[in-house]
Amino acid sequence: MDRSRDIGPFVPGPDDDLLICRCEEVTKGEIRRAVHAGMWTMTEIRRFLRVGMGLCQGQSCTKLVKGIVARELGVSPATLDPETSRAPMRPTEMHVLGDEKKEA
Amino acid sequence: MERHDLIVVGAGPSGLSAAIEAAKCGLDVVVFDECARPGGQLFKQIHKFFGSKEHKAKIRGFRIGEELLKEASDAGVQVVLNATVLGLYQEKEVLVRIGDEIRHVKGDAILVATGASENTLAFPGWTLPGVIGAGAAQTMMNLHGVKPGERVLMLGSGNVGLVVSFQLLQAGCEVVALVDAAPRIGGYGVHAAKVARCGVPFYLSHTIVRAEGTDHVTGVVIGEVDKSWQIIPGTEKHFDVDTICVAVGLSPMSQLLTMAGCDMADDPKKGGYVPVCDETGATSVPGIFVSGDVSGIEEASSAMIEGRIAGIAAAKYLGYVEQAAEENEVHALETSLDALRQGMFAPKNRGKDLRETEEGCPISQNLLRKGYLSDEEVFAYPGVRKIAGVHPVIECTQNIPCNPCQDACPKGCITIGENITSLPVVNPDAQCIGCGMCVASCSGQAIFLVDEDAGADTATVTLPYEFLPLPKAGDKGQALSRSGAPLCEAEVAGVRSAPAFDHTNLLTIRVPKAYAMRARFFQPMEGGCAEWANQWTVPETSAPSFRGPMTIC
Repeated sequence: MDRSRDIGPFVPGPDDDLLICRCEEVTKGEIRRAVHAGMWTMTEIRRFLRVGMGLCQGQSCTKLVKGIVARELGVSPATLDPETSRAPMRPTEMHVLGDEKKEA
Repeated sequence: MERHDLIVVGAGPSGLSAAIEAAKCGLDVVVFDECARPGGQLFKQIHKFFGSKEHKAKIRGFRIGEELLKEASDAGVQVVLNATVLGLYQEKEVLVRIGDEIRHVKGDAILVATGASENTLAFPGWTLPGVIGAGAAQTMMNLHGVKPGERVLMLGSGNVGLVVSFQLLQAGCEVVALVDAAPRIGGYGVHAAKVARCGVPFYLSHTIVRAEGTDHVTGVVIGEVDKSWQIIPGTEKHFDVDTICVAVGLSPMSQLLTMAGCDMADDPKKGGYVPVCDETGATSVPGIFVSGDVSGIEEASSAMIEGRIAGIAAAKYLGYVEQAAEENEVHALETSLDALRQGMFAPKNRGKDLRETEEGCPISQNLLRKGYLSDEEVFAYPGVRKIAGVHPVIECTQNIPCNPCQDACPKGCITIGENITSLPVVNPDAQCIGCGMCVASCSGQAIFLVDEDAGADTATVTLPYEFLPLPKAGDKGQALSRSGAPLCEAEVAGVRSAPAFDHTNLLTIRVPKAYAMRARFFQPMEGGCAEWANQWTVPETSAPSFRGPMTIC
């Protein structure tokens, strides 16, 4: 990825206050600003804003976020790599995750 | 560590089918599913499926689910419910949460059949209670018997949007509009037609501008979109609704495969990020297989065949099946799968603007934009013939893989032929006895029995009817057109229900002869559907007009 590419300045939009990630309450404007702050991959966006890291684990917003980031970068969403997949795939309480069944 | 020959992730149609085939080959198979009930989405599907006999056509989805569960238990498949697979690691190790316990389980082969999740659309107000996925509406209605709302707007005209709209009507909801940003209806024309004749207006090239309400949905505004999907100012329309249903496609839930290190590709035609796999579902990681929606969004019928193929492939991978036997079985299944992937809605034809059927009949543009055939267009198809006495009128006008009507007729009135996507042809010389088997067997509810010689000035029309309360002979009401507009007074001449019809009742109405080829639905004077009466006072000519280019053939 050519990080020196000029994607232009951040231009405020009328729907910047639209909630995109409901679980972590992240708006469209915050995602667009993050791209202009240099977060050009889905993984970076996720770490920066916590989108997709809430209760639904990105089930609702991932595609929306990808579309917004791609549009801001002026590329097709299909060219953006998805964020890293990691266990646990579903929200799991720590007391459960940490309590593995002992082998008999 | 607990180990199995094959671990299947997901007990939906595809995962169960794979597990059944693998177990039949002698593998020790365990299926994990995060839900409390097996069957995936199948138990929400109360409509009859398409295809041919081998694809379980004209059987309702939930019955197919029941058959699969029985087959799985007979084959010795172990299905573990409330078992959430949290991770898939190297050496095919699965991390699964069962109840409040975390277990590591190892499989010699893994089959991931996790399916897909619903896409969402962000518009102002989309987080208000009352904005729900179409799948959620189906779960509420068909699994839990809960009405999602009273007045609903559906966004999305794919098969999910169309099928769920019809089910909402069946549940007694009012569907105020069916909206899609695309210029053409995405799902089967027959699904659209059965929604349209209940009086639901279609708004193509429209999308949601905003949902209204403070703590729940009280209304919605839609607007027409231009070629770059921007709302055209001045085209906004308001509807009072308490529910907005979103059916804007599905995305494969393929995260486990990414985690397992399988080669992946972003393929918009398959619905998103999918594993790269061969025709047996083998991914780039030896021993990890995929089938169903996780490898590309399709219908449940194809997901079940893909599952069977992948199950046999996994058995062969582990040495339980000889190469030759595997090739034979897989080849037969692939032929069956290929038959489902033909026709106008085949993956290869997605997004194409087809103008003619395989037979050279014009494809109705009214059907694609408004959801119904015009009174003139209907005569362009081989299923519609003017014949003396009672005869079937088959308003099946798009090449879709389906042929139960051909087998249903005991008198040879209906021919489809070898190619199951061909349009059904009504043979004018065969003697229809009015048994109605074709009407009940049509998964698209597109067959009617018409008798223009039923009386001096009257004709009878027999139509498929899946609403309650069921009208009875002598009931009076209105006959509705294909667009759901009131046409004329109609009287119920008879209602037939039989186990062979599988809950599709045959309602025969008597109408003036002039309306024999126009009357396609019945609105009882009072009763279950009375609350829709207001909507149906709109005369047919004032149906919503469209700005886009429109060809009327």
